[in-house]
Amino acid sequence: MIIWSSRQLPSFVLMKRFPVPRNFGLNSRSRVEPGRSWPLSGEANRIKTFNIYRYNPDSGRNPTLDRFEVDLDDCGPMVLDALIWIKNKVDPTLAFRFSCREGICGSCAMNIDGTNWLACTRFISETENPTAIYPLPSLRIIKDLVPDLTHLYAQYKAIQPWLHSKTPEPEKERLQSIEERRRLDGYYECILCFCCTSGCPSYWWNGDRFLGPAALLEAWRWLTDSRDEATGERLDRLEEPFRLYGCRTILNCTRTCPKGLNPGKAIAEIKKKVMERRGLGWQE
Amino acid sequence: MTRRRKLSPFVRSQARGSAREGAGHWWRERVTAVALIPLTLWFFASIIAHSGSDYSAVIAWLRMPSSTLMMVLLLIALFYHTALGLQIIIDDYVHSARKVPALIIMRLGCLALAAAGTFAVLRIVIRG
Amino acid sequence: MRGSTQVKYGPKSPNIQIYRPQLTSVLSIANRISGVVTSVGAVGLVLWLLAAAAGPDTYAFALWLLSFLLGQIGLLIFTFFFFLHLCGGIRHLIWDAVYGFDLSTIYASGWVVVAASVVLTGAAWIVFAVS
Repeated sequence: MIIWSSRQLPSFVLMKRFPVPRNFGLNSRSRVEPGRSWPLSGEANRIKTFNIYRYNPDSGRNPTLDRFEVDLDDCGPMVLDALIWIKNKVDPTLAFRFSCREGICGSCAMNIDGTNWLACTRFISETENPTAIYPLPSLRIIKDLVPDLTHLYAQYKAIQPWLHSKTPEPEKERLQSIEERRRLDGYYECILCFCCTSGCPSYWWNGDRFLGPAALLEAWRWLTDSRDEATGERLDRLEEPFRLYGCRTILNCTRTCPKGLNPGKAIAEIKKKVMERRGLGWQE
Repeated sequence: MTRRRKLSPFVRSQARGSAREGAGHWWRERVTAVALIPLTLWFFASIIAHSGSDYSAVIAWLRMPSSTLMMVLLLIALFYHTALGLQIIIDDYVHSARKVPALIIMRLGCLALAAAGTFAVLRIVIRG
Repeated sequence: MRGSTQVKYGPKSPNIQIYRPQLTSVLSIANRISGVVTSVGAVGLVLWLLAAAAGPDTYAFALWLLSFLLGQIGLLIFTFFFFLHLCGGIRHLIWDAVYGFDLSTIYASGWVVVAASVVLTGAAWIVFAVS
């Protein structure tokens, strides 16, 4: 009933998906059609079924949902291990991003059983049977589970994630007290996996104008950094009916962050800072 | 012949720059929400207290100065909050050219309803 | 494709079609739906006031319409959605003061909102029926 960490799985699942048609609102190019089945050849003690979203840009066909059977005794414990096993033993054309296999690079972010997470930190034993693996929601797909992140990176760049300084450079480091450094904790650790942004319904409907939780979390990281001297200009750029105020405090982002960060809180802090500079805050 | 590079929606939205407003709408939605908490609870409590009353009792209650004032304030805050909230909903789901007419009709509709309600209350107070 | 690697013509991955409903998103959409239902109730409030201003006959007619079972059920549903929007709105106001953003607090406050709406609806209707 109570979730205290984003790593925690729900104890019961009332609804697996919202009661909308399977291809609700998807244009003709994006409709997902049933795909082929890849059953296991040979014997195996523990078999698990994975339904994986496939799209081949060269085929000219719509995306499909392929059904793979995986021998769990032959592959590692994580969902990423299963994907690599499928690529090695079953279908080498399965495309997905991965790199560090330890949950720090953010490459293998995808939608597993309806929630966004990193494939390398999701245990197969924690998933349902059959497991559904989709790419990050509401993004243009290059191939299979590889989404196009250009727009997301552009939004990250738009918040100017670097230090703005007006005072001349000091001879040594720019000093920061322990409390000032502590204000960055929980925000600098973002790995830009974009699980939060692609899981936000407001981003689904207005992704071209709403910056999304990831970019806004990073924007707060720079707003709260005591060494940054362009707070006013940053807030000017953010204060917009869609860029910042596209956030409706749905909080899917905090629920799904694989690193346990809190983008919802960061966005609330930004809104509070906007209010403070209008004179509507607790501290002047 | 030169071909213009097709700009992505993001570039187009960034090129327009920040509207530098949005905080006003956010603040007014919160202020009307805070105002509506006591006003709506007063209204519900009054309805429950007057359950089973006949027409003249309801009219007498509405003609009390405190009730009149609270009712008018309730109508203003309610329809202002409704207009702000429905604007958010239209912003989210309507993207085509229908958006501006939808916003105008919604706003004018809320204004008309608030005016109609206030007119009804004042008519009761004046006429009896 | 010089200068742009953005894929323009690929399909868009499914979003609401496959995303799991969680307390966060479900309560958020419930707050929005309850807000819309409450605004319909606001229209009803104006109609009730206009009926009262028009005279005792119109007022009696309006109350007669509401006295049907359908009208009573509608009022009950409206009361529940109103209290849901009230409690959800208070939860939103607490978030706007940047309180209660821990995941456990988000979930606990969410269940409190659901329970409080049910309890308040029941209490309001019991008191209304008794008095």
